[in-house]
Amino acid sequence: MSGRSGVNRLERLVNLLVALLDTRRPLSRDELRERVGGYSEDPSNFRRNFERDKDLLRQMGIPVLAEPLNPGSAEDQSGYWVPRELYEMADPGLDEEELMALSLAASLVEFREEGEGGNATTAALRKLAGAGAGRTGALMASAAPGASEGSGDGPSAAVLDVPLGPEVTTLFSGVAGRQVVRFTYNGISRRVEPYRLSYRDGRWYLAGFDQGRAAERLFRVDRVEGGVELEGEPGAFDRPEGALAGPPPPWRLGDEPAVSVELRVDAAQAPWVSRLAGAGPEVVPGPDGDVVFSLEVTNWEGFRGFVLGLLDHAEVLSPPQARDKVVSWLSAMAAGSPSGEVSA
Amino acid sequence: MKRTTASERLARLLALVPWVVAQDGPRVADVAERFGIPEDELVDDLELLFMCGVYPFTPDSLIEVDIEGGRVWVRFADWFRRPLRLTAPEGLALLAAARAALATPAGTSVPSLERAVAKLEHALGTGAQDAVAVEPGQASGEVLASLQVANRERRKVRISYYSFGRDETTERVVQPWQVFSSEGHWYLLAWCELVDGRRLFRVDRTRAATVLEEHFEAPSELAPVASLYEGREEDPVVVLDLAPEARWVAERYPNEGTEQHSGGHVQVRLRVSSRAWLERILLRAGPAATVVSGAEGVAAEAALRLLAVYGFGRDAPAPGATPCVPAGTVTSRR
Repeated sequence: MSGRSGVNRLERLVNLLVALLDTRRPLSRDELRERVGGYSEDPSNFRRNFERDKDLLRQMGIPVLAEPLNPGSAEDQSGYWVPRELYEMADPGLDEEELMALSLAASLVEFREEGEGGNATTAALRKLAGAGAGRTGALMASAAPGASEGSGDGPSAAVLDVPLGPEVTTLFSGVAGRQVVRFTYNGISRRVEPYRLSYRDGRWYLAGFDQGRAAERLFRVDRVEGGVELEGEPGAFDRPEGALAGPPPPWRLGDEPAVSVELRVDAAQAPWVSRLAGAGPEVVPGPDGDVVFSLEVTNWEGFRGFVLGLLDHAEVLSPPQARDKVVSWLSAMAAGSPSGEVSA
Repeated sequence: MKRTTASERLARLLALVPWVVAQDGPRVADVAERFGIPEDELVDDLELLFMCGVYPFTPDSLIEVDIEGGRVWVRFADWFRRPLRLTAPEGLALLAAARAALATPAGTSVPSLERAVAKLEHALGTGAQDAVAVEPGQASGEVLASLQVANRERRKVRISYYSFGRDETTERVVQPWQVFSSEGHWYLLAWCELVDGRRLFRVDRTRAATVLEEHFEAPSELAPVASLYEGREEDPVVVLDLAPEARWVAERYPNEGTEQHSGGHVQVRLRVSSRAWLERILLRAGPAATVVSGAEGVAAEAALRLLAVYGFGRDAPAPGATPCVPAGTVTSRR
């Protein structure tokens, strides 16, 4: 596309958007061709260009609604319009200082796997800058594309990088709009009321109410099979107070009957375990600076993996059954080649 | 030069018009700066807006744009009195960035950012305050803050570092070149004076950090970190056979290739930089992972060492392990 025709297209897009915003009723394609100008006289050319323009506006997030013009009649032509109340951003009421803080935050973070739309934070900041009442200057300097474009691999000027694939984005729509999402997980198709998204240990997690299982569940977004689809209307459910507060530590990632396990951890490893465990567990300092954690275990495999990862810096103290299970796991391994006893 | 697409130009035009209208004649340079747009492109776009309006395009139905004396006025653009609402990807990206920044030592005490996030969440309709949480990595705030200060002030720092791979803690003086978070962990890229080489450290394994008086000179250009994975070329290759329930090993760790075998088994080739790292994998996978080559006996030896912690050893054999506990292989460290 030459530069000149690009300009023409921009002009045509602005005029199309103005026409769609200016009307109080859906306009037919022919009415739009007349009002917008710049479209080809050739019907199929016009049709193709109009469809492309409409798709582009929608990709930008502009709510171009399509409604049947003559419901019930044989001709099922659609009319189009953009209701202003759906187009306009409610004033978030950010002052200049708050805008600057957001801009700075955005400059710290680099998103991977962003969609075709380019730099989403830059686009978002521009919109917020447009809504702001102040006149601060270099709001976008740090976030403008080009200013922080690294080589693409390895850490760039950004301090953090976070993956932001299409699944996370769609789930966010569901969270923000309180709209049911549908996806396949562990081979099961699920309808979930999405409550909360959290990013931890390099992964996104979704907490929500799994309608099929009638229980709150935590899903790893990277384990979602296929895509995520929104279903039904927004505002379909109420998010309960105190929805799952992010991904729990590995020993809580399950719904087995809770067992309270006492774990002794060497002094050197204790701070790390403590951060992982969060505020919950009871902690008793032992001799030699060792620390005894009292952990509620609802996922035995997760717990076992965690404990073994601490190598000989940790010891399960009680209950005896838990201690025995670790010992027999280790004994089986110590017994040498387990090739003949691969478990099912 | 990157070509600006029509949709990007339209998007930024729609964002800036409400502000220009409200400001009543801001300087073109200020608009360009605020919205991060090259001035010449901005003027082009504004001039084009001048041609736009609504049918029948009589003068009173067109948007009016005046650029005069370095200032710009936009009138009769009531269709664009407010910016376009944020899309879900935009809202998420900004909220996630702000949440991540709030979770860093530098961001925790910025009241304007906290206020901004609250307003943004309200505007996005997420309702609850905690609909999106971003945890850049588990690390002691104190250590992270010290490393960031040292990095900013170009001062050396003494760290006590736990090497996960070698399972040992060492004291070393490093020159902190860069502090960043990737894939959910904080990293320190530094020149390590102990080994006299460039090293990547995990901040959550840094037990203490003391900023020293001594300054250092940072390299003018940093070669990018090739991989966060600690394996290296010269590391030996270990081949593991993985039953289906241990496939996570192949999925989770960078490897040198996998091979499908019957019964859903997979053979994976791993570069093993350290014994402790391999021990963890084998202990966790248990009977579902077996060593095909390169690390015979590692699992059994590790299991015996751990059993010693539980009081089982040469003199008190563990149940079921009796026949295979050779004397002398128990290396209790306690």
